[in-house]
Amino acid sequence: MFSVPCGLTVGFEEASVAVADADGALRGAFVAVSDAESAGANVSGLIGRLNDAGVALTGARVALAVGNYSDAVGRAGECRGLADGVVLDAGVLKNDAAAQASRWWVTVLLSVAGSVVFGVVLFLVWRRFKRYYADRLLGCRPEVAA
Amino acid sequence: MLSLGDCRYAFIVVGLMGVLVFNVPSLMLFVHLPGGERFSELYVLGPGHMAEGYPFNVSAGADYSVFLGVGNHLGGSASYQVVVKMRNATEPLPNATSGVSSPLPMLYGYEVFLAEGQTWEEALVFRFDDVAFGVNVSSVGRIRVNDAWMNVNETAMWDNVNGGYYYQVFVELWLYNAPSNSFGFHNRFVSLWLNMTSFA
Repeated sequence: MFSVPCGLTVGFEEASVAVADADGALRGAFVAVSDAESAGANVSGLIGRLNDAGVALTGARVALAVGNYSDAVGRAGECRGLADGVVLDAGVLKNDAAAQASRWWVTVLLSVAGSVVFGVVLFLVWRRFKRYYADRLLGCRPEVAA
Repeated sequence: MLSLGDCRYAFIVVGLMGVLVFNVPSLMLFVHLPGGERFSELYVLGPGHMAEGYPFNVSAGADYSVFLGVGNHLGGSASYQVVVKMRNATEPLPNATSGVSSPLPMLYGYEVFLAEGQTWEEALVFRFDDVAFGVNVSSVGRIRVNDAWMNVNETAMWDNVNGGYYYQVFVELWLYNAPSNSFGFHNRFVSLWLNMTSFA
């Protein structure tokens, strides 16, 4: 998918630019993942894909260093493709997390409602208990022997 | 038997505890407890994933392997570069006091992304080539790190004190800083002393 067609000669300049672009794309993808994480998203799946892109970038750098420029371009393209996919998915996760966070009032409402119901139930139990307590106390009246 | 007043206090305490329990989810939205100490780990293990069996006496034409590890405890996801370098005994190591990396060139770099609490471990396999020995001097022409051959052209003088030709493969940890869009030396490095010999 990302390989260079046979017959085309890739030079150092082109390979260097491709590797630098892939490097920039990978940094951008990490920033997007960090943003999604800050918004409260679970980004563990995206971290794994960033590592896959990182392996491709390392391979591209090695290929560039040893003069295998077409391989460098191919691996850089692979890295870029993975990074672009991560950016898209990070955006979706960030939006989902933001929407989830915007529903904070539901949590607060449920907490307040739960507290009120609990308080009312406890009050009713208290009233019942008080009556039971008084009845037991009255049942303990001392009786005077004739 | 408890008095009615004592029972009232018991009900009030139970009531307050219940209200607290019901409100924990809401409190978690607004109250963020401080995390622990924030740091990163960098370590090197021997070929058996233990802190033993590190390569020491090395020669040309043989593969040597260790395992590198990084742990993230920075409180969020982090992007690291694990940078492999080589030097002889007279060339500079990173300066831990001033937090400056070694100026020597990178031979190999791992790109590592870790979520909070995650660790990464990867093999570092190296092999020397073009090794030569003269009078009280040795030289290394090339090193292969994992699958990449690099020219290094390092020389080491005979070490009279320790008896050998000593080189050091060391690994620096760099951390990506998003606001500055650059990597900075994270002030952590590990190293391996290697005695170059003429026999396998």
